[in-house]
Amino acid sequence: MPGTLGFGPYKILIGDFELSQTVTTTWFIMAVIMLLVLWLTRKREEIPKGAQNFAELLVESINGLVKQTMGEKRVNFAPYMGTLLIFIAFANLAGLFGLRPPTADVNTTLALALMTFFTIHVGGTISKGASYFKGFLEPFPLLLPLNIIGELATPISLSFRLFGNIVGGMIIMSLLYGALGYFAVLPIPAVFHIYFDLFAGLLQSFIFTMLTMVFVSMAID
Amino acid sequence: MENTNFIVQFLNWLMTFDGKTLVMAASCIGAGFAMIAGIGPGIGQGYAAGKGAEATAKNPKNNKQTVMVMLLGAAVAETSGILALVVALILLYGNPLISQVTTQNSALILMASAIGAGISMIAGVGPGIGQGYAAGKGTEAVGKRPKLQSVIVRTMFLGQAVAQTTGIYALIISLVLMFANPLLNLL
Repeated sequence: MPGTLGFGPYKILIGDFELSQTVTTTWFIMAVIMLLVLWLTRKREEIPKGAQNFAELLVESINGLVKQTMGEKRVNFAPYMGTLLIFIAFANLAGLFGLRPPTADVNTTLALALMTFFTIHVGGTISKGASYFKGFLEPFPLLLPLNIIGELATPISLSFRLFGNIVGGMIIMSLLYGALGYFAVLPIPAVFHIYFDLFAGLLQSFIFTMLTMVFVSMAID
Repeated sequence: MENTNFIVQFLNWLMTFDGKTLVMAASCIGAGFAMIAGIGPGIGQGYAAGKGAEATAKNPKNNKQTVMVMLLGAAVAETSGILALVVALILLYGNPLISQVTTQNSALILMASAIGAGISMIAGVGPGIGQGYAAGKGTEAVGKRPKLQSVIVRTMFLGQAVAQTTGIYALIISLVLMFANPLLNLL
């Protein structure tokens, strides 16, 4: 369809395979995170200094956040939640560097939300066994369809919340750059970048991770 | 009798125009409708501002903290207004509908899509008011118990994000209507 071309990601055709801009940007972000991790853990010492200090601060604050939200016992979820937080934050901040944020593509956000969805239900089944499914019959069995719809709505609202916020910011930034033309050298877009990329981007990555933690701990406990 | 049926007359008159003109005209109406969503953030942020003033009056020492929480909450409450602005700006400056016009029939559908995309954004009124209310209560709470600021702000953000859901659904429908209307394929 002609209309879908508007603000969507560019696609390269390799044979029958469509390689979209989202995928290449995600590869780039993965490489950046890998290099960052290697650099931060290069020389580990008893008394941390410099980069190691930062890495320890990050790990400790993520551990603390998970402990506070999911309980002391659930700190084994911290690696996943930390990865989610760091990846989404990097993906949302990609707009600052002139890249198209991968989270401005519903494929990325729906994949992340489906991971949350399966974590919720697999985690609930493992920790509670068959009685987990009894929870769908509460407060009374007639509400079963409503409960199932409510569960299915979770990944949809999670993914579209992230997607809608980021794609809105991306569209408004590209319209702004289009309107400014050569005047974009003036620091006018910087103000908008602070709100749409820094504030909204970091806030949405935090909210996605927090909601994942809340949903998972509600299903498990 | 035919002359008195002004709806048919109006539609006949509309059909005398070129398809692209009709879609452009409808886009103008849609852009205007979309901005009605601004009511929500307006009320919500006003409430947050009032609560900020109240919290400052009660506890002037924590003025900086309450102002910061108020601004953070109000910035989130602004989201649905910004999403409405995105739709209105797309309709005005990056209109994807005009290039989809092929026949007079498709022009009519696209015209309705433009207006529908705008009307859909009115849903932003709800999240705007709700998030602003949360921002106000958060500001009030921080004014009362400044030590719990980080927990209060975290809870406020989480609740505001959930309150945003219907506004995001409206944006999705609006974008689908503009960029990938599935009904066009059924023509």
